[in-house]
Amino acid sequence: MRVLLIEDDPATADYLAKGLGEEGHVVDLARNGKDGLFLALNESFDVIVTDRMLPGPDGLTILRAIRASGIATPVLVLTALGEVDRKVEGLEAGADDYLAKPFAFAELRARIRALARRPAAQAEQHALVVGDLRMDLLRRVVARGGRAVELLPTEFRLLEYMMRHPGEVLTRTMLLEKVWDFSFDPTTNVVDVHVSRLRRKLEAGGEPPMIRTVRGAGYVLAAPEPARTEA
Amino acid sequence: MIRLRSFAPRVAFTIAVVVLVCSILGAGWGWFRAQAALRQQLDLVLAAEGEGLLRDYEAYGLRGLSEAAEVHTRRRGPLLVLVQTPDGRPIAGRLPGAPRVLRGYATLRESGDAPPLRALGAILPGGVNLVLATDLSSVDRAAYALAWTPPVAAGLAALVALGLGFILGHGLERRLAGISDAARAVMGGDLTRRLPESGRGDEFDRLAITINAMLARIETLVAEVRQVTDDVAHDLRSPLSHLRQRLEAALARAREPEADAAVLEAALEELDGILATFAALLRIARTEAGAGREGFAPLDLSSLVAAVIEAYAPAAEEAGRRIEPELAPGLQVTGSAPLLRQALANLLDNALVHGAGTIRVALRPGAELEVSDAGQGIPPEEREKALRRFYRLDRSRGTPGTGLGLSLVSAVARMHGGRLTLGEAPGGGLSVRLRLPQGGTGKF
Repeated sequence: MRVLLIEDDPATADYLAKGLGEEGHVVDLARNGKDGLFLALNESFDVIVTDRMLPGPDGLTILRAIRASGIATPVLVLTALGEVDRKVEGLEAGADDYLAKPFAFAELRARIRALARRPAAQAEQHALVVGDLRMDLLRRVVARGGRAVELLPTEFRLLEYMMRHPGEVLTRTMLLEKVWDFSFDPTTNVVDVHVSRLRRKLEAGGEPPMIRTVRGAGYVLAAPEPARTEA
Repeated sequence: MIRLRSFAPRVAFTIAVVVLVCSILGAGWGWFRAQAALRQQLDLVLAAEGEGLLRDYEAYGLRGLSEAAEVHTRRRGPLLVLVQTPDGRPIAGRLPGAPRVLRGYATLRESGDAPPLRALGAILPGGVNLVLATDLSSVDRAAYALAWTPPVAAGLAALVALGLGFILGHGLERRLAGISDAARAVMGGDLTRRLPESGRGDEFDRLAITINAMLARIETLVAEVRQVTDDVAHDLRSPLSHLRQRLEAALARAREPEADAAVLEAALEELDGILATFAALLRIARTEAGAGREGFAPLDLSSLVAAVIEAYAPAAEEAGRRIEPELAPGLQVTGSAPLLRQALANLLDNALVHGAGTIRVALRPGAELEVSDAGQGIPPEEREKALRRFYRLDRSRGTPGTGLGLSLVSAVARMHGGRLTLGEAPGGGLSVRLRLPQGGTGKF
């Protein structure tokens, strides 16, 4: 994937560019707002990652400019520590995701993947299917194989989000934000408990597991691979 | 020397000057008008006297007129009468400086030290020229006196005003000097210093009271900042030195990939904890500064609370606990949904980690949210302190948490114009009440 990274702090910029390069992305690095805006407007990218505070035009200005010129490339805005209350402002300017510094690299990696795979113009889907798991979005019912799975509203929302991003690592922070609208990390392991309940319900009929825990990162929902026992 | 840099004397001086200039201009105008009016009056007097003499002339002829003229001349009275032939030879009476023939009114200005005269002349039947005159200087003196009385009074008043201004200015200066001394002391670092109050309750006292309240608030805030700085330094030092020791010990050991990875992982975890503390501190600071208040919007508090409870219910069950909600439906408040969500989450985290038994969450009309449990609670004397940053009860030292949870909830409450109070639940556990103002209820 081709990623535009707009970041003025040299250490952060180099670290992120290197990390994303090792992930197999092609990274274009802009070290100020002006270059970033120029690249964003004149080249084509799969994902744009921009710092919010930049010399020259800042992240939100760039964001508004590229949205104004009709570019729909997913944009992830990086923000300083403790500024989560300004998230709304960023989302209103057209950001697709928001990440507060400092973050674990795994968090950024997961979010970039989730953004890049987001269908650009999503046709109204009526059902989500992953392996033998099927979710009917209209009737709001879930079935594994032929077996109906009874879910509580929160579990349904959680599963829906996971089924929209099959095979991707979803971090706890991402799940907290997208499913619960929590912009903070609670002491209580809210996510883990919900995921393990959901997992139990999905495997209640003795089916192979679909939700895999990625240590130090988060969870992945994918169709079980019958050939392997260890993922 | 006159110190015109002071306010009141300067005002007094300006007023005095303006009053004096105005009265001098007024006096000139008044003199002009009074003189004109008095002269007009004089002309009428002359005309009336002339009528009288004319009647004498008609009754007794030239002789009667001449006698009357002589009587006036002898009397040296205010009226001078001259009877003369049409060609200017005097017949009777005396009028120094009179022209040879005078008809109508005229002002005679004699040379020398004699005063100016106002005269009226007429040619009587038979060709006799009668001239009457009277001293004009008395009229002018009266006009002068009339015109100058008010300005002199005004001038005196101006002098008095000037004096009062200086006295007032002196008093003002003394009070301002007191204020300025106090301000300088505060600037110099003595935050306990207050402005002097005279106790008279005047404008200066009211100003001093307001400024003193401000100084008290600043003193509290500065003390808080100092306290927070100390706390931050103290509370972050131990995890950081911990981390340092761990890394140092690992470095001194022989390289073993697996052991090293374990150490690095543990170090990362510890760093994440420190960063979380920083994030919490910054969030409290931003909340206390009111950042994000512009993002306030009307929201349904009842469903917000229900959603957070739903998120926590399974975790509570896993821990063998229960959350029992009792929520008034459809309660509207204006505020920040993310911060209110976090506030309630912090209260539930606290109840799960430090409390015991069933957690009751009640939302009552008037926007009062109460979270209570059946644990040991917090002793009354520690409740105030529990809201401070980093404060932890002795018995909770070993449990997870930064000691910042309640501080944030308290900051969120204050940001919304509400209050957070800690009390005792019926069973002896902790009861936390978050009261939000009802303003903006459904009216947006």
